[in-house]
Amino acid sequence: MRILIVDDEAPARDKVRRWLAAQADISLVGECADGLEAAASIASLQPDAVFLDIQMPGMSGLEVAAQLEPAHAPLLVFVTAYDEHAIKAFDLNAIDYLLKPFDKERLNKTLERLRERCGGASAKSASAIRVARAQTGSSERLLVPQGETLQIIDASSIHWLEADDNYVHVHTAQARYMLRRTLSDLLIQLGSRFMRIHKSAAVNIAEVKLLAPLFKGDHEVHLRSGAVLRLSRRYKDELFAQMGT
Amino acid sequence: MQSVVARQAGTKQEGALFAMWALFWLLMIAVAVEDNRGDPGVRWWEPVLWEVSSCTVATFWLLLERRNASLWNEHLAQPWRWFAKHLVWMPVIVVTFIIAVYGIRHGVYALSGEIYEHESWPYLFFYESIKLTLFAGLWLGIIFGLASFTRWQQEREHLLTLQKHLAESQLAQLKAQLQPHFLFNALNTISSLMQVDVERADRLLTRLADLLRSSLQASARDMTSLGEELKLLEMYAQIMQERFTGRVTLVWNIADDALDAEIPAMLLQPLLENAFKHGVERRLDPVTIRVAAEKQGDELCVTVHNSDSLLTTTTSTGIGLRNCRDRLELIYGARAGLQLLQDGHGVIARLTLPCRKATCAS
Repeated sequence: MRILIVDDEAPARDKVRRWLAAQADISLVGECADGLEAAASIASLQPDAVFLDIQMPGMSGLEVAAQLEPAHAPLLVFVTAYDEHAIKAFDLNAIDYLLKPFDKERLNKTLERLRERCGGASAKSASAIRVARAQTGSSERLLVPQGETLQIIDASSIHWLEADDNYVHVHTAQARYMLRRTLSDLLIQLGSRFMRIHKSAAVNIAEVKLLAPLFKGDHEVHLRSGAVLRLSRRYKDELFAQMGT
Repeated sequence: MQSVVARQAGTKQEGALFAMWALFWLLMIAVAVEDNRGDPGVRWWEPVLWEVSSCTVATFWLLLERRNASLWNEHLAQPWRWFAKHLVWMPVIVVTFIIAVYGIRHGVYALSGEIYEHESWPYLFFYESIKLTLFAGLWLGIIFGLASFTRWQQEREHLLTLQKHLAESQLAQLKAQLQPHFLFNALNTISSLMQVDVERADRLLTRLADLLRSSLQASARDMTSLGEELKLLEMYAQIMQERFTGRVTLVWNIADDALDAEIPAMLLQPLLENAFKHGVERRLDPVTIRVAAEKQGDELCVTVHNSDSLLTTTTSTGIGLRNCRDRLELIYGARAGLQLLQDGHGVIARLTLPCRKATCAS
């Protein structure tokens, strides 16, 4: 099992690394000291499991988890010293977590559970990601690749989303980002601000300028940015209801 | 700070006083009229004039007394002083009273073409002095009673708020000391360190025990010396430095003559905690925290500067900071202050309070 350790405090990482080294079937693929680095490493290293500290500078562990696509996400173990709120949610949803400080026995128990779950059904971390999203208001921010690094953009700055095979193009005023995510999961994360207008596109409702009728009941969606998109009949009623027309 | 309730009690008392005053004079007029009803030499308006003229001048004196209430009220705790401060005015009152009252009476009589007849001036003087002193004594007694009652109400109310705030801040203080975040993270650092360096872990554990002990002691008393408070801060900083290895440098800049200055116990710890929370914990680049203290005239000035963080609204309304401000106001009123300032890339928490020598520097 390939494991990634994420914690901003060096002594805390040292301890886990030391104990993991004693496990024959486990290889440590990396260590990260902050959230953004963790998100990048998860994407590039694709570990089987991540020990994810919650309190970190920049982006918290929960925020990192919130931006993951459940279908491809590694197993997640949240690590925290004290976070009443999150822990309650973890308990309710049977999500793995470690409370600092923890002993070897507790870590081994967690590893045991990880071994059981590893290689099982897909979307093993779906509930962890769902809870992380609920805890962090992840509908407001989106993590996007920017060259070699990752950056966080405001969800409100997005004009529209375009699905393209295994990718989604995120269109904003300044740039177009390409994400390895599915449009449906992205729409779950970003919430009701966005609406699907056909199978492979969704718009930020606030960016819609007008809906222009075409022949045979078809419509076009005109965005404030000037982009013109096709509205499929399947999503027409919902969008009209949402636009209040 | 005078509360609204206390002020309302004050005006209520004032109202009662003037109601009694009005009633008293109505009674005086009625009695005088009644006394002279059978006397054919006295017309009905004469006793009314006598009493109204006395009432007018006396009311003037009462208003003057009430206007300057604050002058006497500081002596409310020492009744003799309070009365003496009033009675020294008696000669002035007697003279002005006689001149004014008899002036009015002579004037009115003259207007109606008559002559106001009364006892000889020396006798009048003697007689009025005694009457006025008795009269003043009676009313001063009433005023003193009402004012004392108001003061007692205000004090009781002030005491109640003070006790409430004290209880709250003690509670919050206790919470601040045993910040679960800090405690569990420190324990985790020790647990991690133990794996590689038992001695260092042991030292850190001892430091944590020292800190807990000191903070428990600090919560038991209200005031401490700056030196003691700084010891606590150093212990806290040592533990945090171990946690955030290489991410924070602490610079202490403490004037020697400030060490024995008095300071509310556990007042600075939340400021340092904030510097770590908003500076060190939020970024991986090294942060420098400077703690400075010095005497400036008759003020003690303590600053906690953290080199890299932004002032946010949540920073200025945090529980720790609000608690500090509440305590300062309760202890020093307007003479102490706590400000947060953005300084380039950093934030400074600047605390000023009246400089007093600590009495129980233990």
